[in-house]
Amino acid sequence: MSQTRVAVTALFLVAALTATGCSERSDSARATRPPGADTLRSPAELAAAAINATRQPGALTTVPAAPVERWTGPGNQSFEVATRTSEEEAGHARRFGAITLQTALRARPLGQYPCTSCHLGRKVVMAEKRIADAHQNVQPVHPKQTGALCSTCHAADDVELLALENGKRVTLDESYRLCAQCHFAQADAWAHGAHGKRLDGWQGRRVVMVCPDCHDPHQPTLQPRIPFRAPHLERPRGHDQ
Amino acid sequence: MTHERTAELPSAADHGTVLQKPVDRRLALKILAGGVAAGAQVLSACAPLSATTDEEREIRLLAWREYIKGNYRFMTEAERAETIARLERLAELKRGEDVTIQSTGALPGVVFGYAFNISKCKGFRRCVEACINENNLDRRAATQYIRIFEMEDGVIDFDHADATFQHEVPAEGHFYIGTQCFQCADPPCVKVCPVGATWQEPDGITVIDYDWCIGCRYCVAACPYWARRFNWSAPEVPLEEVNPNQHYLGNRARKTGVVEKCTFCIHRTRQGRLPACAEACPTGARVFGNLLDPDSEIRWVLANKRVFRLKEDLETEPRFWYFTD
Repeated sequence: MSQTRVAVTALFLVAALTATGCSERSDSARATRPPGADTLRSPAELAAAAINATRQPGALTTVPAAPVERWTGPGNQSFEVATRTSEEEAGHARRFGAITLQTALRARPLGQYPCTSCHLGRKVVMAEKRIADAHQNVQPVHPKQTGALCSTCHAADDVELLALENGKRVTLDESYRLCAQCHFAQADAWAHGAHGKRLDGWQGRRVVMVCPDCHDPHQPTLQPRIPFRAPHLERPRGHDQ
Repeated sequence: MTHERTAELPSAADHGTVLQKPVDRRLALKILAGGVAAGAQVLSACAPLSATTDEEREIRLLAWREYIKGNYRFMTEAERAETIARLERLAELKRGEDVTIQSTGALPGVVFGYAFNISKCKGFRRCVEACINENNLDRRAATQYIRIFEMEDGVIDFDHADATFQHEVPAEGHFYIGTQCFQCADPPCVKVCPVGATWQEPDGITVIDYDWCIGCRYCVAACPYWARRFNWSAPEVPLEEVNPNQHYLGNRARKTGVVEKCTFCIHRTRQGRLPACAEACPTGARVFGNLLDPDSEIRWVLANKRVFRLKEDLETEPRFWYFTD
């Protein structure tokens, strides 16, 4: 049964991949960005940076930089992915038609990141039973439901990177590209703002949260919780006041 | 007491003897008329005289000037600045609050719209919490602008929905749908206001001048979406919980006997920020944006998702859509 599910998932992924036709960055993709990339600014980007400088506190400060790569994403339209860096936070931007979208960074706040603090360059043997030893906080519900293994998402030869189905590697900051391989409907809605959350205001630059900001990758369903206090209504089913 | 009658007006020199003279009716009327005219002019100056401290005197003076001011909609910029300065000073004197009240106008080319994803909402009520904190809602009466209704799968029925659920959510076999002010394009609440205290701004937000509202509550009755709230007592907010970022038409301090409502967080959205409810939502069920911007998220939702509005047959044209994944 499990093997069947793996096979079905693999077929599913291959089909999705063929449809989306990803062309990825090389294996040299790392959390470190080219430092001198700030010089590639266009007038429009400089204007955007000026707008960003006057924004409310709490908004991400990002500096446009780095070359733009092609990526055919979810949906039928092609759009571009740009890598951006700044002092505090880096983000990614992609243009979907007229929409430019930046994503919040993911890797920096992770507790056990970078992985190489433990995995000293050795090839990692990803066996399910050994997860409990080192990663006790990981409850791999999602892989079990989908029949996937650790190595379905994580690159076994470079643990800090995620492995896409076409063999390319992306950093944890670009995990949405991994998720979009299967959840393309959600990724489509996310790219357009119908799914997910926008971090700064409703106008101007769109900085959005990425998938694992809300969904634990190993247990993606939001967990039930107790709601904020109920209103004081004389008629429990009533509406006025 | 045998003074002669005189038709002369009392001069400044002998005004002290006026009251001791038996005056005729004509003189009495003159004195009375003069007294009324003078009294009306000095009333504002007299009001603080009975106060004991300088602060009380200032409060009474400011309160009197607030009392005689006009409708916000017809004020000049200078008058708006004056009333805002008075309100900020009163907040400091009366309650010790250091607040900033904006009078930011509507942005050109902007009409706000809202979309609510009923597939995503899980009934956590984080929006309600954020709304209370952001809009300085009355903690004593526990006013809430937003209602989250728990409904059984398959049918949208507000008569049998539960807005007071208090158990772990999401509950099996239920879904959640939130209501608040829908900022109708043709708002019935505005039509019924007998004094013009509520109106629709150019960006589509229906606002209330709390100092012009007479508390008749016609608008509460007229709203088909149960969006308006009446203050039976003056809202009480603990000093440390007061949000100092305020707007004249939004979350500034309300008083007894006036109606209030959701303004899409007018003090935030007119500065380009998201409403507090949209920012707080942990499920991403809330989409907010400019309906006039063809590239906005809300326009994509309206064009690509299955959307509906509540009570569309009333033709109030709410700017609040529900959609599903």
